[in-house]
Amino acid sequence: MTDTTRRDFLKYSGALGAAAATGGFAGLAHAQEVLKVGVVYVSPVADIGWTKQHSLGAQAIKDAFGDKVEMTIIDNIFMPQDAERVFTQLASSGNKLIFGTSFSHGTPMQKVAPRFPDIAFEHCSGIVHLANLGTFEAKYYEGTFVAGAAAGHMTKSGKIGFIGGFPIPDIVGPANALLLGAQSVRPDTTCNVVFLNSWFDPGKEKEAANTLLSQGCDVICSMTDTATGVQTAGEGGAWSIGYASDMAAFGSGKQLTAFTLDWSRDYVEPAKAVAAGTWKPEVRWDGLAAGIVKMAPYNEQIPADVVAKLKQLETDIGSGKVHPYAGELKDQDGNVKVAAGSVLADPDIRGMNWFVAGMIGKLA
Amino acid sequence: MDLFVAIFAGTVIAATPLVFAALGELVVEKSGVLNLGIEGMMLMGAAIAFGAVVAGYSMPVAILAGGLAGAATSLLFGVLALTFLTNQYAAGLALAIFGSGVSAFLGRGFGSAPIDALDRIHIPGLSDIPLVGPMLFRFDPMVYLALAMFVAISWFLYRTKSGLVLRTIGESPQTAHAIGYPVIKIRYLAVLFGGLMAGLGGAYLSVAYTPLWVENMTAGKGWIALALVVFATWRPQRVLLGAWLFGGMTILQLQGQAIGLAVPSELLSALPYLATIVVLVIISQNRQMLALHFPASLAKPFRPAG
Repeated sequence: MTDTTRRDFLKYSGALGAAAATGGFAGLAHAQEVLKVGVVYVSPVADIGWTKQHSLGAQAIKDAFGDKVEMTIIDNIFMPQDAERVFTQLASSGNKLIFGTSFSHGTPMQKVAPRFPDIAFEHCSGIVHLANLGTFEAKYYEGTFVAGAAAGHMTKSGKIGFIGGFPIPDIVGPANALLLGAQSVRPDTTCNVVFLNSWFDPGKEKEAANTLLSQGCDVICSMTDTATGVQTAGEGGAWSIGYASDMAAFGSGKQLTAFTLDWSRDYVEPAKAVAAGTWKPEVRWDGLAAGIVKMAPYNEQIPADVVAKLKQLETDIGSGKVHPYAGELKDQDGNVKVAAGSVLADPDIRGMNWFVAGMIGKLA
Repeated sequence: MDLFVAIFAGTVIAATPLVFAALGELVVEKSGVLNLGIEGMMLMGAAIAFGAVVAGYSMPVAILAGGLAGAATSLLFGVLALTFLTNQYAAGLALAIFGSGVSAFLGRGFGSAPIDALDRIHIPGLSDIPLVGPMLFRFDPMVYLALAMFVAISWFLYRTKSGLVLRTIGESPQTAHAIGYPVIKIRYLAVLFGGLMAGLGGAYLSVAYTPLWVENMTAGKGWIALALVVFATWRPQRVLLGAWLFGGMTILQLQGQAIGLAVPSELLSALPYLATIVVLVIISQNRQMLALHFPASLAKPFRPAG
């Protein structure tokens, strides 16, 4: 796998562009044999976290195709203006399939994709679809519901704490599901919520976790891009729930489980479709059933019968027998948002901007 | 009462990296040099200290290594700004970007390995006093070092001859030069000291506060330290006050969010910045005092005449 940094990329892409202009597309015949795939990460590849999980997806393509694939990976591209340039460069240098891995890559991809109608674009966390722009996303809420059930079994105080990056539906929804999962076991559970208003600020995350501990929360779930929440909970003797990757190594043995993300299918399927010439823009949005969301091994201190129940819950959510947002659901003010016997509609799940009853926190 | 202790202790700890970095920058600016690269020096300190712990060195060695890494980084700024007399704003900004890039590069080898945090002290008797014990005698040694540095710097600047010389150079390097003081050399020492302190602040983050290494983990603390020095009108007591105020408001806004205060979290998140600016602006109303403490030659390159 070509592991190129942004700087290298910019340096070489100029030369590449010049070569392409003078030498024509001599590489085209070669390109039919070998699939060229470009992937853009929002942050550097660390040992854990969001981008690490995407790098495993990219690795899955490599594993599936062997030497029939040539991958160009550009990391640490967050700003839309940088992203637009990088996507353009990738598209003009012969890549037939290009992945964007952050919500912030959306606007640049929507600009670049129409200019290269023959190239397939796949956007993780995307909401806009075009003729050659597909999206994929995980049902985080299925994972948080199961993790919440684990928390409900293990909490003593009946208070769990949630740390979110920003108050957006992708975070608010899973936070609600976390509490609903806990309440499915212990109905009087409440959940204190803190937003950092940053994806990435380990110092503030530490303070947030300590704040939640000082208010009596004994399970902490943090949906940000570091292991600080898991680490701080462990230091304070509280349980924790990891996100994106298994963070057990950071939790002082107190990580209950983690809802991890496995994007392999979302990478390999489009790659195979592009190679076969059958690619179409799709909306992939899956969770436990498809294995996009997976629960990390449960903590050994959770009783065996509880673990069995949690595994059953995973199966039931996967099969649709249990729906995390099944009625009756009330909001913080007691208004019924989902009637008994029905479930929250998919568009409402993806746009969830209200807290369920029992959440302690305030949305604007 | 436990909550009060938690808020107080949280404030002191959250302020510690800012205290280190801002006090260091205060000394630099008092010598008439403006180094905007605190963020870069903190990141270098954080990366090197963390790397040293991962490599098996003891905690004091690691923290010292972090401080020295910050000083080494600041030397680069010194050469540019003091020897080659480049624009100090540009050199400082370059240093911030350089430090963040190089620390990210160095940090690649460390992965995201977990390490054991710096231990907190426990003084038998004192640490066990109810209320006072957890509030005063249960921090890690770096917190006390930060306070000791505050006392030492205040004493140095205003009670020693060397401090007077440093301040003179910040006011009028020509005058100091004419009397025979080595302006460039003393400014170099100030810049190195600032780098050392920023490096210690960074090391505190990566080995004591959030004991892990992730790229850009300072998340803007270097810039906040820089702003604190200005809003504190170049006075050490106010730097300390500002850092505590900022730390305290951060903790309070998080507590406010967690109890479900009916204020949007976006607004609460802005509170530490607002409160720190408002308070420090209010206490800095006296223009005469401001003029008295502002280093008149700040950011102006000095070339010894003759």
